[in-house]
Amino acid sequence: MRDVYVAGIGITTFTRLEFALSEIASYASMMALKDAGITEVDQVYVANMGSPRVNHQTALASAVADSLSLTPAGAAAIENGPASGGSAIKAGYQAVASGMDDVVLVAGVERMREVNGLEATDFVATLTHPIAEYIYGVTLPAHAAMFTRLYMDKYGVTERHLAMVGVKNQNAALNNEWAHLQQEISLEGILDSPEAMTNNPYVAEPLRFFDACPVSDGGAAIILVSEEKAKELGGPMIKLSGVGQATDTHTVHEREEPTDLLAVRKAAADAFAMAGKTPEDVDVAELHDAFTILEIVESEEVGFFPKGEGHIALEKGETALGGKIPINVGGGLKGRGHPVGATGIAQAWEIVTQLRGDGEARQVEDAEVGFTCNFGGFGNNVVCLVFEKEA
Amino acid sequence: MAREIYAYKCRLCDTEHYPFRMVCKNCKQNDFFEFDTVPLPRDGKLLTYTRVYNLPPQYEVPTLGLGIVELENGMRMLGQLDIDEPKAGMAVKGSVEIVREETYDNYYGMVFRGA
Amino acid sequence: MSVDLEKILRPIDSEMAPYEPKYMLLASGEAAVVRAVDRDEIPDLLKHVEPLLHVERDYYDVVASRVYAELLSHYQYRFQDQYVLAVQVDGELAAIVNGRQVTPNLGLSLHTLALRRGLRIGAHAFAAKMEYHFDVLGHDEVLIVAESPIGFRRWMIEYKLEKRFEIPHELGGVPSWALTRELFDAARSSLVVGRRPVPPEILDKAMEAILPPSDPPTPALDPLSATRSQYDPTASALMVQRWAMEEGLQDA
Repeated sequence: MRDVYVAGIGITTFTRLEFALSEIASYASMMALKDAGITEVDQVYVANMGSPRVNHQTALASAVADSLSLTPAGAAAIENGPASGGSAIKAGYQAVASGMDDVVLVAGVERMREVNGLEATDFVATLTHPIAEYIYGVTLPAHAAMFTRLYMDKYGVTERHLAMVGVKNQNAALNNEWAHLQQEISLEGILDSPEAMTNNPYVAEPLRFFDACPVSDGGAAIILVSEEKAKELGGPMIKLSGVGQATDTHTVHEREEPTDLLAVRKAAADAFAMAGKTPEDVDVAELHDAFTILEIVESEEVGFFPKGEGHIALEKGETALGGKIPINVGGGLKGRGHPVGATGIAQAWEIVTQLRGDGEARQVEDAEVGFTCNFGGFGNNVVCLVFEKEA
Repeated sequence: MAREIYAYKCRLCDTEHYPFRMVCKNCKQNDFFEFDTVPLPRDGKLLTYTRVYNLPPQYEVPTLGLGIVELENGMRMLGQLDIDEPKAGMAVKGSVEIVREETYDNYYGMVFRGA
Repeated sequence: MSVDLEKILRPIDSEMAPYEPKYMLLASGEAAVVRAVDRDEIPDLLKHVEPLLHVERDYYDVVASRVYAELLSHYQYRFQDQYVLAVQVDGELAAIVNGRQVTPNLGLSLHTLALRRGLRIGAHAFAAKMEYHFDVLGHDEVLIVAESPIGFRRWMIEYKLEKRFEIPHELGGVPSWALTRELFDAARSSLVVGRRPVPPEILDKAMEAILPPSDPPTPALDPLSATRSQYDPTASALMVQRWAMEEGLQDA
């Protein structure tokens, strides 16, 4: 297989975007093409979860390829739930590594705020098992809540730990001009003051409003190229060196140990093995904190901390900027927003920004190895990536 | 006839599954639908639970209790809870009732109450 | 003659006990003040409501135009027994709520308009006006409707209102819902927050001036984009606006 490099990145603001879906994808892609300094690609992949249902548009990749005047490049959309972005990057990796394509544009996009929040919740819930979960009214917050309850009982995670993740990530987003939430929050305001429980009501007990990511629109894009092409373009050499993907049972109740996220564990292990790295080598990580609990659990499953000790590392500040392993310094899904199809690409966008040293106020010092975990379903389809800066 | 929710028992190795899967998780040898249906038991204990406040638009109730129950045969299932103050480990009993209505369609599923 | 006519047209407001200001800490850690707005301050609110008339999403246009009409007619003495409360954060306008007294026992909720979002200021403001109806004015019941699905779900979840479908609500003639004293008391502990008295330095800042909201909702860049969304079916009005805009561009 050939080595694969990131030649360009682009992103839109994550917020409510009142543009056509394909325009959002195209804007981020245009930024990435300009960043790489190219106007032609061999292949386009567009990650998206809900366009047929939410936006009444199908065959999105064709629309994006044409809008960017990239025809006659190949184009295909990739729908893989919230892991669509990571999956599209994997497809792009395979295309370049195999030698089939030299330049691949991988974009991700979602426009969820075209419908109201209740419809958006229902749309995301369609990824659950249709007969054994969805019909009961299960939502992703409900799954996360039931999981959290088990985790609290087993490992001693408390609502305070969850709130600490929320405050860390939402306030980190203040350093990221592309992030959705630009509103500082405090532990006092969401946990300790007499008004806190009213400010921060339950979404699904024991998860509260500020434990969940916002519903966002947004797009992100990344250009993957061969080593030869990367050298020709002359930008910073950021290598996509590890890719891992794993699945788990569709229903959550069928998992032998319901507090394990085996797909996260396997995808991360595979990505690290492929890159020849270990979790200790990682300087900066993007974890899929659609709910605050997930950042804590993923930090354990990917190997940064022993199982059951993620919340202790959080308490010690090890996951904050300046800590041992800074996680979600650009806000994560919680602060940046979670346009589901775009999230996996946005995570890669943040890591590449960090490895290039362009993180400004949120820059992790001397970042050379970055890691992303893009969590689909409720942990039943996970993509992990390792990126490295080459001198 | 009382409504049931079924587990699917592999005709080759007797492993039971809920929900249905095309190929047995244990022996992986099935031909098309080589499963027998076996009604799921109604008794079990509550493993974990939540109360959801942001429901899909079809629901006309303000909140909904949900939980995962470990049934007496060791299998697990997710169901709605009609329990005011659920506790992990409490004994529950299920009953098959309407769990979702969409316009003219009714969907049946398990609703658990304290046993 | 004209003086006499004004006497006929101008309603005689009932005596309504004043709302004592309160404050609460928001999720951000900032203090928000909820206080009554006097009639002579109404123009200060109107200038911040007017831009929202053009925000064609989440029913901001419908709510803002109705609020504008209610406030303006209150100011010009064409609305009986209306009260207006404002939420201010560091002087900045964050939400407006209003309602009216129908009879000494019955209140009617008009609108809740949030100008700053993401901190549940609208929920605090709604709770404050229900507090005013039940605890200060002594109403037994308040009639309520919602224009947006979000509003509907919010009070349905948080207050579990009763149906009063035989009563058309003053807002659009749609069937009413009601918050009863019993339901309010049940929701009180989790929803009605706030501390009194407001420390003088915080209250003075609020009373000094109603400052412009720092991050109010703004119209879409493409005025037609909202027509693509399922719950903003305002296509014809927007098309007329677009034609007008295009004509304006040609003139310029």
